[in-house]
Amino acid sequence: MKRREFVIKSATLAAGGMVLPYILPSGRLFARTNAPKADHVVLVIFGGGLRQQDSILQRYLADSQGYNVEGNILYNMLEGAAPASKIAYGLTPAGQTNGSQPIPRILSQSLQKQGTIFQEMRAISGGHYGGLNSLITGSRVQGQGLKVRPMNPTIFEYARRFGGFKATETWFIGNTISNSVPLLNSSKHPDFGLQYGANFFAPGITFGSDGYAALSNAKVYHPQEELEPVYKMKNFLDNTFNIKKGDMPGIRNTDDEKTQIKEFIANTFQRQASGLLPMPPVSGGDGSTIGYAAEVLRVFKPKLLVVNLSNIDGCHGNYTGYLQAMHRADHAMGFLWNYIQTQIPEMSGKTIMAFAPECGRNLQHNPIQDENDWYGYDHGDSNSLRVFGGMVGQNVPSNLLVGNETNPVGKVTDMALTIADILGFKDEVKAAGLIDFESMSLFDRI
Amino acid sequence: MHTFKLAFFLLLLIGVSACKKKDNNNYEVIDTNTYGNNLDKDKSKSNIEFHSILRTNLFQRPSSINELSRIDRVMQSCGDKALINEVIISNYMNSANVKLPSRKMMTDSTERFIEETFIRFFIRRPTEAEKTWFSNFINANKSNPNFRPELVYTAFAASDEYMFY
Repeated sequence: MKRREFVIKSATLAAGGMVLPYILPSGRLFARTNAPKADHVVLVIFGGGLRQQDSILQRYLADSQGYNVEGNILYNMLEGAAPASKIAYGLTPAGQTNGSQPIPRILSQSLQKQGTIFQEMRAISGGHYGGLNSLITGSRVQGQGLKVRPMNPTIFEYARRFGGFKATETWFIGNTISNSVPLLNSSKHPDFGLQYGANFFAPGITFGSDGYAALSNAKVYHPQEELEPVYKMKNFLDNTFNIKKGDMPGIRNTDDEKTQIKEFIANTFQRQASGLLPMPPVSGGDGSTIGYAAEVLRVFKPKLLVVNLSNIDGCHGNYTGYLQAMHRADHAMGFLWNYIQTQIPEMSGKTIMAFAPECGRNLQHNPIQDENDWYGYDHGDSNSLRVFGGMVGQNVPSNLLVGNETNPVGKVTDMALTIADILGFKDEVKAAGLIDFESMSLFDRI
Repeated sequence: MHTFKLAFFLLLLIGVSACKKKDNNNYEVIDTNTYGNNLDKDKSKSNIEFHSILRTNLFQRPSSINELSRIDRVMQSCGDKALINEVIISNYMNSANVKLPSRKMMTDSTERFIEETFIRFFIRRPTEAEKTWFSNFINANKSNPNFRPELVYTAFAASDEYMFY
């Protein structure tokens, strides 16, 4: 071999050896920077604010209404005995007092026993949109306006860009279309944005009476005979028009993904009518949102799903209703974890479920009293920055409590980095430099 | 006398040559609507604007604000606006009241059908390239009995251009 030929071949081989490992079958340009801890992540957000004293600290009415009654009303999540008196957090059987019947626990072993609980974390914001935003983006949300998409990339965009996931592999299930919730599936960051956004449903609308009227009578077109020509014509027209990236009104699924989601919508209405949707035994409100999230998990088996609950925010004016909503949310979360483990074989044993409130609630009550003369609580003071969080599943240490009232460990902004850590692109998210500089993966906090 | 005759003759000559028959040309101009190329649409229609226009287009009657508000909420409840629009459009297409051209008109008068569809949805005439592409596409699908104007209308209603004005 001539010297010149040898040099060319060696250089080509060396270059190929350097580049090829980074062009992966998934289409990603870069290999994941850390080994994934699990294949799937589900994040449950207690939107609306969960008061630390009433939840993780298990003080029930003792630290809120002046009654010396303590106890744990989140017994699917936490260890601890339920309150012995003044039971108002349960269901209301006909003819009995409001909330007098607690909901039976679903999990034989609490999430605390199965996983790790961070007992005293810190929220970034005591307000709604800021709270959700900080959880979803992992950033401090400074300068973030209301009614606009997050300024910094969401965990969905990181997942799609750095994880190489399809749109149908990332989902955000919202409880409402109010409070800018539908804007949280993607940021407006120029390097990320809607092209990396997650699919979003607010099931109460999409599959409620509005959705039923607008969507349930949709034709199911034949994929080859009818849909294919439609997409060919549409794609031709779209290529002629050339929409600008910043003008995209929503996220984009591929034609195949669209067909899949259309089938999902049609099937969901059918399964709803037949009572086949996987709803928690006690459903309605947040319970229904969890049920539809379970249906999305069953069908799409996404890599990342975030579900937002909010009934607990009724605490502003109805403390009894807040206790009931908290108890139901715990029930719904127990159902969801149990459903993943027992009904979705592709996700069982390969999923981590994390949970956290967007913020806490105030130390002092407001003047609004409910039917039990119990006072409501708003959010916005320093006490509303006190929250807890946790995770359970593959590679999560079991029966571990981290931090306490005098030793706070973890921030809500850790959640985004924790998800990135679980799915294997933590270093890329850090390198992007758009998250709270103090945030860490909760695994690293342990 | 001779001078008088000459002057009279000259006056007569000027008079005759000055009187000219008015030229009433009729060029037979046909009244035609102009649409411009209208390709520079850069403002996104709101959900309510989009469906108000689309429903009027398809049903030939205006929609109630309740219907439009409902559609708006459903649109907001889904992350992929294009996808949910397609589902809503196919819901419209399932209505008995939707007004569509016949398949015969599409296949027999393809050029007219294409032109009218572009004007109806995009408020512009098709370019030559668009006309040719659609003409070829419709002709190529003549043997597919499922290929009907409804599918063409669905593609136009779901297109990016229709979302803008």
